[in-house]
Amino acid sequence: MSHAAHGPNWPARIAVALASVLALALSVALAVTIGEMRIPLDTALRALGNGLLGLDAPVSAIQQGVIFDYRLSRALMAGLCGGALALSGAILQALLRNPLAEPYVLGISAGASTGAVAVLILGVGIGGTALTLSAGAFVGSCAALAVVALLATGAGGASDRVILAGVATSQLFNAATATIVTTLASAEQARGVMFWLLGNFGGVRWPDLWVATPVALVGFAVCMLHAKALDAFAFGIDAAAALGVAVTRVKVVLFATTAVMTAAMVSIIGTVGFVGLIIPHAARFLVGSGHARLLPACLVVGAIFMILADILSRVLIPQQILPIGVVTALFGAPVFALILHRARRPS
Amino acid sequence: MTLATHEVCWGAAGRIIVDGVTLQAAPGRVLGLIGPNGSGKSSLLRLLCRLRNVASGVVTLDGRDIAALARRELARRLAFVEQQAATEIQLSVCDVVRLGRTPHRAALASWTAADEAAVTEALARVGLSERHDQSWHTLSGGERQRVHIARALAQEPSELILDEPTNHLDIQHQLSILSLVRRLGITCIMALHDLNLAAMFCDEIALLHEGRLQMAGPPDEVLTAEAIQRIFGVAVAIRTGASGRRHIEYLVEAEQGAGGLAGA
Repeated sequence: MSHAAHGPNWPARIAVALASVLALALSVALAVTIGEMRIPLDTALRALGNGLLGLDAPVSAIQQGVIFDYRLSRALMAGLCGGALALSGAILQALLRNPLAEPYVLGISAGASTGAVAVLILGVGIGGTALTLSAGAFVGSCAALAVVALLATGAGGASDRVILAGVATSQLFNAATATIVTTLASAEQARGVMFWLLGNFGGVRWPDLWVATPVALVGFAVCMLHAKALDAFAFGIDAAAALGVAVTRVKVVLFATTAVMTAAMVSIIGTVGFVGLIIPHAARFLVGSGHARLLPACLVVGAIFMILADILSRVLIPQQILPIGVVTALFGAPVFALILHRARRPS
Repeated sequence: MTLATHEVCWGAAGRIIVDGVTLQAAPGRVLGLIGPNGSGKSSLLRLLCRLRNVASGVVTLDGRDIAALARRELARRLAFVEQQAATEIQLSVCDVVRLGRTPHRAALASWTAADEAAVTEALARVGLSERHDQSWHTLSGGERQRVHIARALAQEPSELILDEPTNHLDIQHQLSILSLVRRLGITCIMALHDLNLAAMFCDEIALLHEGRLQMAGPPDEVLTAEAIQRIFGVAVAIRTGASGRRHIEYLVEAEQGAGGLAGA
């Protein structure tokens, strides 16, 4: 029986970790070489060597710029964003015991957008733009989380009520965003905001990564520390408490982690739906529902999915870039349907 | 010494649901909680394992106030089986039983031989060893309840609390679950609906009504025709059954028109 083995199976773990890193590297390599300007892999590698290791390999300045400052930062950001959103989805689905829970559906992304747009257009912030935008997004996402919690508790707190509360919250914050944009933004600002609201990796530069990387990695570490507690939520909150989980503390810590991760990502790339919803389901399909395996799987699969989606957004229509949210939905919805179909229970 | 309550009160939405209950469980015995719907059985059980905090009074475990214990520590002593805990998540039988090891494992601890042994033994005790890898969702109601009991046993508790564990089960499974609980040999506190089952399987019975403890003691002392008439509003005749245990027969007046059987 496969369960006979005790303790961690280190060779298998290392193999899976290596395969994941390899798959991620391959996705990034694809993202770096594919685009409007065709750049051969060896040139790309030389440019990476120059940028990362300080080598002095012969690469034209334009190619160097496109590879290192534009495509690499963009690919890494896409990976971090996909991973963090997928992770947030998995956490929310476990805590709320609802397979539809994710930051976008629950309105947390909408709240983050409102906060970010308020900063962007009302100019609340002072100092470094990325940080103030993030701060605005964070305040917005926390506000949305509070509204969802309040509505859901007021409606009885059942897990289907949470989704209804999320839909209402989403609408509320989207309306607030629209009000700010239509009444206070200049035409140019409004166009920029609308593009950003559908998700856009275009403006990503290296400083954004210094914000997103620690948020995603610390968030992942916090979630991993709670993997066993999340498993205990399978039969509900009372069941988790009876198994010795400090339910309130775990919920506060993990909801806050989710809010911070979502806020950080939304403040940089805008709102992207579907990733937080489908990736956890796809990952469960691959590795099962135990969170010690599910959470790393979400991080890796989410990252790869988003990097590939970003490539598609750049090459699907020549001379144009589709908003990333459009691509994730276009490809995510059929994949989701497939997962639902294959995972259906024999009745 | 084991689990005890002293003058415990609890309410929700401005209504008192548990009203000054003082009760003690005897070590290694089965204590049954009976009472009409809404008499506070489930709430009292939740107070016993601190899923709700008492408004006043105190719940003690070995003489220590459980409010002072860490939740994890409490979960290594007390296990709780709900009426009908379900999940949407795809889990196997052993995944569910493994959850019982949660209070024994640190956040990043890996699965140990002791954990595996506890799961194997728990499954053997409920007679589901062969179902180890079966999907939870393909089990019958009775089997699910057995898996929940195995999960509780994997916690290696000294006290087991069960909230109407036989609800929605057919009679065969009701009897087999309750026989299983009786054989466990640990202190059990269990809410039950069926008075005859309570008489058959409990060493002691506590009768609750409107949040107050009415009587507590051996089934023969608590399950009297007078008490059942007063609390449940049902007339009964009590006699000694074939098993030697007391049997409660409900006396319902024949409905008017029951004579019209000829029409059937």
